[in-house]
Amino acid sequence: MTTEQLADLSRVLYSPTTLALYLAAAFVYLYALTTTVGRREDRVRGRRAQAVGAALAVAGIGTHIAHEVVRGLAQSRFPLGNMFEVTSLMALVGVVVGWTYLTFIRKRGELNGFVLLGGALVLASALLMYAEPGPLMPILDTWWRHFHVSLLVGAMGIFAAGFVFNGLYLLRDTGERAVARQREHGMHGSTVGAAYVGDLEAGSEDGSVASDGGLTDRTTDALDPTGDDDGRDHDAEYRTALRAGVSPVRLAIGTAIGTSLVAWVFVYSADTVAAGLGRFVTINLVMVAAALLARWFVPFLPSTATLDGLAHRTIAFAFLMWTVGTIAGAMWAEQSWGRFWGWDPKETGAFLTWVAYAGYLHARATSGMKGRRAAWIGVGAFIVLMGTYLIANYVIVGLHSYAGL
Amino acid sequence: MSERERHGPAGTLPPVRRPDSAPPPEANPTIRRPPRGSGSPGPLRFVLDSIAMGWRWLVRMKTALLLLGVLALQTAIATIVPQEPNVRSTVEAWRAGEEGPGAPVARVLDAIGAFDVYGSAMFLALLLLLFLSLTACLIPRIRAWVRLVRRSRPPLVRSVGRHDLVASFATDRTPDEVHEAARSSLTERRWRVRTADGADGAPPQVAAEKGLWSREGGSLLFHLSFYVLLAAIVFGQLITFEGQVGVVEGDRGFTDTEVSYWTYRPGRWFGPEQHAGWQLNLDAFEVEWIRDPTAPGAGQPTTFRSDVTIVGADGEVSQAVIEGNRPHTVDGFKIHQLDWGYAPRIVVEVDGDVVYDDFITTIALDRAGFRGAVKAPAADPDVGLDVFLYPFAPDGEPGDPPTLTGAPWDDDPVLIVSQYRGDLQLGATQQSIVELDTSALELEGGAFVRPGQTVTIGDVTVSFPELRRWVGFQVSSRPQIPWLLFGSALLVAGLIPALYAYRRRLWVLATPDGPRTVVRVAGRAFQRPERFEEEHSRIVAALAATTGGTPVTSPGVTDPDGDTSAPAPAGSTSEVMTR
Repeated sequence: MTTEQLADLSRVLYSPTTLALYLAAAFVYLYALTTTVGRREDRVRGRRAQAVGAALAVAGIGTHIAHEVVRGLAQSRFPLGNMFEVTSLMALVGVVVGWTYLTFIRKRGELNGFVLLGGALVLASALLMYAEPGPLMPILDTWWRHFHVSLLVGAMGIFAAGFVFNGLYLLRDTGERAVARQREHGMHGSTVGAAYVGDLEAGSEDGSVASDGGLTDRTTDALDPTGDDDGRDHDAEYRTALRAGVSPVRLAIGTAIGTSLVAWVFVYSADTVAAGLGRFVTINLVMVAAALLARWFVPFLPSTATLDGLAHRTIAFAFLMWTVGTIAGAMWAEQSWGRFWGWDPKETGAFLTWVAYAGYLHARATSGMKGRRAAWIGVGAFIVLMGTYLIANYVIVGLHSYAGL
Repeated sequence: MSERERHGPAGTLPPVRRPDSAPPPEANPTIRRPPRGSGSPGPLRFVLDSIAMGWRWLVRMKTALLLLGVLALQTAIATIVPQEPNVRSTVEAWRAGEEGPGAPVARVLDAIGAFDVYGSAMFLALLLLLFLSLTACLIPRIRAWVRLVRRSRPPLVRSVGRHDLVASFATDRTPDEVHEAARSSLTERRWRVRTADGADGAPPQVAAEKGLWSREGGSLLFHLSFYVLLAAIVFGQLITFEGQVGVVEGDRGFTDTEVSYWTYRPGRWFGPEQHAGWQLNLDAFEVEWIRDPTAPGAGQPTTFRSDVTIVGADGEVSQAVIEGNRPHTVDGFKIHQLDWGYAPRIVVEVDGDVVYDDFITTIALDRAGFRGAVKAPAADPDVGLDVFLYPFAPDGEPGDPPTLTGAPWDDDPVLIVSQYRGDLQLGATQQSIVELDTSALELEGGAFVRPGQTVTIGDVTVSFPELRRWVGFQVSSRPQIPWLLFGSALLVAGLIPALYAYRRRLWVLATPDGPRTVVRVAGRAFQRPERFEEEHSRIVAALAATTGGTPVTSPGVTDPDGDTSAPAPAGSTSEVMTR
């Protein structure tokens, strides 16, 4: 095959093939998530759906890897040379690590829908930065690049998975808090959740009423369906209350603000204001839609402690990768530019991201900060990560410019 | 509580024994001591109290988080606002209001030091506070950690606590045999093991602990590595040296002495006597591009390569190749190839006298050729030539000027020379090597010059005998690099256990139950409960296998290989306890 044919093939493998497979897998998995709460027959169907989702996800990962290989062949180099390639690999690592971790290590396969949805969003966003395959600047042509860039890009993908878990944690926690407030208020008026008041008190007795931890676990355990019809009615009411606890308007506005903190870069860097605004609005709409979709699934999420743990483990792993990748970058810079650290925009951005995630890890280990505040710091850290990634490529031109526009 | 009394004989309980597990040292202990003494209030008292208050503020984790937040904010400013040490020209443009948000905003930014965040007093103050806070945090933590490592023995239990992860099985071995099997199995798995025969006020058991010091120790190592890094950076600033110099192909080389560098940036403790006096000659500089305009990446360079000859301080001659990622080290100085350009040789004659004959260095403009300047103060009045070089400028139609392409390869070079007379103001104003200060010069005329041609502009004759290339080398000496690497290695070596090690305890209690023995294995993880669940069930399974155990199903205990959903709350609450 000629180079052009290979390039075309790699494009088709990327979009629509991989994108469609990820989205399909995401929706099948999300369906499987809704069956985790409910009747036994539903659970059987859910397991089947998970198997289908896994097949689709593996197929998607396969075509994604095939895309990377074909693109690498088309330009005879490792496909990590411009923003499109970096973002694409970020999606791949996020999906592979997130999916493997949830499926095989944590055995929480039903949550894969969110990871794949996140992966599909990152994959689609890479299309905004699409660049034709091409050769590389000679300065980049060294194994240092593979080491340094793969580590950082991998860390970005895993940070993205951690962001997904943090977001889900905040959604679930908001819902649970709203329900708890309602109970306090209308103890006598409504019977919703009254059955669990005893559990709540038992939870607070052992002094472990942090925002996560014992309390919520007990509530979910109490909710575990036993086939008892009465319990199921309570479940349904509780689920509705959980979902209602997350205000869709506030969620949409919050998501739009958070997205805009990053997406303004597309307005700034676009050729025409109209094109930039088009991208800006598209990204915002997609993110708001994804957030509202996630809100619908709030009742089916696992306990806040589980979600918080998932976020922490993924972010801790990515933080380690980020640290090693940044040190490797400094070593390469000493080799290549003759200085190990020069506060180049990209270096500053990497440092800023590192500090932000260090803040998250410290907050999570501090009483009074862990739980919601730590999760918010984690969300902020992801905004910092994406913001510095785009700003240092599109807005400020530094030594790391590889936007490939 | 009543359960506790049921087990140990309360009267014989030794006062120092604390079978209940002591919580691990807090990452961030709160220090609330009453003020020592009650001396009369005086200025000294006030100062001491203020220091104590400040110290207490510094110790808090929230303070550390706040400081990290401020650090992030300052870094964010430095990402958005151009930094003077990096891009001086952009900062000048911001100050002049030509770029950025305008001159008034730039004045505010200047006032708060936003153009040089990392050199500002605010950044230094923040760094000082961060390190003070780190020190204040670390001192009690290190003390607690040393105490922990030196004194701690796995605590015994009287009864299985409600936070514990419990599994049990029945076996035909005696309790002592089971305890012995547990002891050897846990020792093999590198647990700290303590056996109790029932004399300690607790039932006979094997208590074990693992990950006691690695997690906290890793965290301490991670934080201590910052002192190594800081020391290496500060010390490095003092002893480092960095200089830049351009060398023309085949021309006279460059000798490593203080005066021969174009830019010279020594650290405060770097003396000129440290230059070894080696020599560098550029034999050839090779550069190549993708010339096919239809190929992907057209116009991108593919090769930069300098062939150099180096004469060491001891007179030893060696050949070397310097490329983008391959610097060359001579006598402790690292030579990087950073920049390149064309170096046309230009001869300027006025009234038959040669007033200038040298290679000029031209630097690449953004896709629009190269720029350089000739400054000939030997003429009277001074002659200045503003030179633009287009490396690939094929002849146009007869009578038309050459077609100026932006291509960087020198297939058909042409110089566009503008000739000025007047005062160059050398030494009077800040001068660029590629531009003239035309404020006191008068334009006399211009011409195209091809290689080998000679043109006359006014009474000045300009010839362009040959075209070469020059390479910008950076020479640096950074003795701090090994220390930085050492600090980074410590940082990563500490970070891995700090994130991945987890502290956990395990108790094996075998009690006779009729003809058989019931074995209960209780465990508690202070971190990573989900990971511990797996480990716990593996250990239980192994112990059951070596002792021929069979599952029992009595109320209140969990099947060892059973559903993992039940212990989950226990695990997560124990994680809560540690914080």
